[in-house]
Amino acid sequence: MESTVRNQRSINSRGNIYGLLGYLVLFFSLSLQSNAAEVDLKPGDTVGPQNWERVKGLVGENLLNRIKQGYTFQIKPPTTYQPPREYVEATKKYAGGVRLGADGELLNHFGGLPFPEVDPRDPQAGQKVAWNYYWRWRGDDYKAGGGTEIGQVIRYAIEKDGSERRADFVSYFLFPRTRVTLGLKPVIPGYEHIDSIQLRIDHYPRDTSGTATLEIRYADPNRPDDLYLYIPTLRRIRRASTTQRCLTLAPSEFNLDDINFFSGKITDFNYRLLGEKKALTNYTQENVPYNRRQGDYLPVDEKWEVQNVYVLEITPKDPSYCTPKKILWIDKVAWETTWGMTWDRKGEYWKEMALFRMPAKLPDGQVVWQEGTGYIVNVQNGRSSVLTTTRLYNQDLSPSLFTLATMLRIMRGGTI
Amino acid sequence: MRFRRMISFLDNLLIIFLMTAPAQASSILGEEWEKFFKERVTFAGFIENTTGLSVAAGDRKFTTGNRFIMNRFTIQPEFNIDLAESAKLFISWRFVKEPRYNSEARNRRRNSPSLHPLDNTFYDEDSFKPWELALDVVPTDQLSLRFGRQFISWGETDGLRLLDVINPQDGTFAPPAAANLFNLDETRVPLWGMRAIYKLFPASNTALEFIAMPGYDEAKKRVDESAPTAGRWAPHPETRMPLGRLFTDGLTGRPTIIPSITRNLPDAGDNWRLGGRIVHTIGKLNFGIGYLYLYNPQSADLVFKLTGTSPGSTATSTRAYLKLVNDRTSIYAAHFNYPVEELKTALKGEVAFYPSKPYNISQYPGNGYQAGPHPRHPDGTVEKNILRYSIGLDQSTFISFLHPDDPWREFRLSFQLFQSIIFDYEDGIRVFAAAEKIKQVSNSLTFRVSTGYLGDTILPDIFLGYDPEGYWMANPAVSYIPPWNEKMRLSIITAIYWGRNQFKSFGSFDEKDSIFLKMRYQF
Repeated sequence: MESTVRNQRSINSRGNIYGLLGYLVLFFSLSLQSNAAEVDLKPGDTVGPQNWERVKGLVGENLLNRIKQGYTFQIKPPTTYQPPREYVEATKKYAGGVRLGADGELLNHFGGLPFPEVDPRDPQAGQKVAWNYYWRWRGDDYKAGGGTEIGQVIRYAIEKDGSERRADFVSYFLFPRTRVTLGLKPVIPGYEHIDSIQLRIDHYPRDTSGTATLEIRYADPNRPDDLYLYIPTLRRIRRASTTQRCLTLAPSEFNLDDINFFSGKITDFNYRLLGEKKALTNYTQENVPYNRRQGDYLPVDEKWEVQNVYVLEITPKDPSYCTPKKILWIDKVAWETTWGMTWDRKGEYWKEMALFRMPAKLPDGQVVWQEGTGYIVNVQNGRSSVLTTTRLYNQDLSPSLFTLATMLRIMRGGTI
Repeated sequence: MRFRRMISFLDNLLIIFLMTAPAQASSILGEEWEKFFKERVTFAGFIENTTGLSVAAGDRKFTTGNRFIMNRFTIQPEFNIDLAESAKLFISWRFVKEPRYNSEARNRRRNSPSLHPLDNTFYDEDSFKPWELALDVVPTDQLSLRFGRQFISWGETDGLRLLDVINPQDGTFAPPAAANLFNLDETRVPLWGMRAIYKLFPASNTALEFIAMPGYDEAKKRVDESAPTAGRWAPHPETRMPLGRLFTDGLTGRPTIIPSITRNLPDAGDNWRLGGRIVHTIGKLNFGIGYLYLYNPQSADLVFKLTGTSPGSTATSTRAYLKLVNDRTSIYAAHFNYPVEELKTALKGEVAFYPSKPYNISQYPGNGYQAGPHPRHPDGTVEKNILRYSIGLDQSTFISFLHPDDPWREFRLSFQLFQSIIFDYEDGIRVFAAAEKIKQVSNSLTFRVSTGYLGDTILPDIFLGYDPEGYWMANPAVSYIPPWNEKMRLSIITAIYWGRNQFKSFGSFDEKDSIFLKMRYQF
């Protein structure tokens, strides 16, 4: 891990070698347009209760309160990653024809970033940022949890009193119609109507091991996701409605749309680009999972860095939806979220999410970013969850893996 | 001797377990084996104690109130072994001991020999034969094969079985219709066999499935041994004999009849269970159509054929020879599920059509008795086509005032209707063990609701069953998982039945009201 971090510095400089100049120019030009306030933080600075004002607006409200109460960390130099060259090329190839439909749906998108240039003055800028976030580079497929020592996502549910429960699982993702690297491109025949498929399998503890979900997201903006559950205690598959996307995925504090900060159907929400700003995050997480005190969700020895983000406000079209407002801080290069905040229907601050990142090496040697460890904290009930979701990208997963038939042969222990 | 073998076996398991744990010293098996065990072998399982207390008063012959009816100790080790990328092995053993009922069975055989109590009136598992052994082989991307002792479950239903009839249900194991007490893989008898799945069109989830289970080492299934007396979970284990009275007056006029029951169990290798189905998705509709060729799928479907009579040992008695009919059964099967977004619901259903299914039949009323021999069916059996189906829905909903700590914690609701229709119906069709008629159309309804409180540390789950003829059952449970240890689980489960009727629906278990405490530790 240490060597990975050491190598990461040289990785950034090598990024240019891959002929990404055109793409970089686009994003640097966007950065130059940023009107974000300059931040008075330098590498090596220590942030704590003595100077919490210096990071006001750079972190979520809950973390700011924790800093006031004593949480301390150091600042380190910022890191940048670039998407793989195939993705950049696909952006160049397809982005020119991409446009928004009357209901905000995405048209003529076959791969890459849909809108590499976002004008903050564009009334549809929010919608475009949302689509950029949705189609950010995540490989043609990946295995979440693949980068941890045990090869699984590690999740801790933490109670207000500090009690913890652990659960491990793996998730396999396939993006069958925007492929830029593997096999058939840009779409696997027969999958033109599917944006993504996720197969998730629980591994630990024993009683839930083997529980699996198969979730299919369709390109049709009017078609809800399909969700199938394999329940080992019944040894059969169940269908579930995906329209209750607010339900808490207990014992975690996530709901279906909180996964990856925001995984709602893009066309089910309205978006407003509130602007650009600086944010504190960590793109070179040192330990996997990060070190923390028992019962606390914050890292104890990770350093933080300043990054540029878009601020996107998300409001639901359905007035009965659980969250009337969600704010995402979206990285301007990777289009990944670094921070997420939600408010409840009374307008009170509800949940805060933050996620670290770290480098990942692709099978062809290119180095990109991946998720590290993140947390979600429910500031109203005090519960939190910490997840380490490192990824293995472009594993050339077969589409036949993502079927109900696969679920039927999952055993206790979760092997497939 | 058996105990020693068991100890030896557990020793071996312990060695394997220790090998899978991180080791500091070098392994005596060498580095290659140590590497294999560390990287490719995982170990899990659970240890559990279940204690049951009867809370029903019982009847005049058998007082059951306040009796301990279960004290079961279970340990189940499980191994996953990645033999290769395309070959994986799962193996588990199940060891169960109920010392109290071992003793009770012996006492019953000694004190009530005239009742011919079956041996299997307690539940012990001490065989070294794997409980499950599944070798998964994936020869091609689209074909997967599973060989070994396994469970196969078809269908969509929850709590009550309809198409989930491939593995026999263990009638001696647990109270009936108590979905919250034990999991499916703890209440079914695993069978040796093969399951093949070919993914025809992955994008539409189109797959062909074929199952073949010779059952060569399962000549005696608990489903046979438990019926009609049903072992310790029989509706009325001490009043089994009314079976013979069905024929008393109509046969000979003698007041006493002694049934002599023969069970023609299949020979080894003559117990094949075969089946095939295709599963497909069209739009939002996911469905499957299949065929099953089984042997004796459910204990409630058993039939006794009268093969003859002879004078009994006394002048006033007659011996009636009854043969347990274990006919092979063809089932034409189908299932579907379909989400209805407007209702935030998933509809589900399954259908089973049984051609020429045998039933017992009598004439009502008999001569001085409730039932007597049927003039058109002297052997007491008749074959009818029947249709069984279920339709139901699963829904998640929010009831915020019941969840003050988390208004978005869902309540999972499940509703099901079961209906059975006998075509070309004849009056007098009855259950095998009693004079209780079966109506042309029979109905059952179930309802289930579950949720979680306090970060899912407290998990209530209520399963209800209702027969419109006036019978109820309730199976509420609440589990506690301590917030500081995900491996422990403590559950209190009750099984309550209403509507007393010795031979009908849930009412036949009216004297079986029980409460259970279950403690489980997973490792």
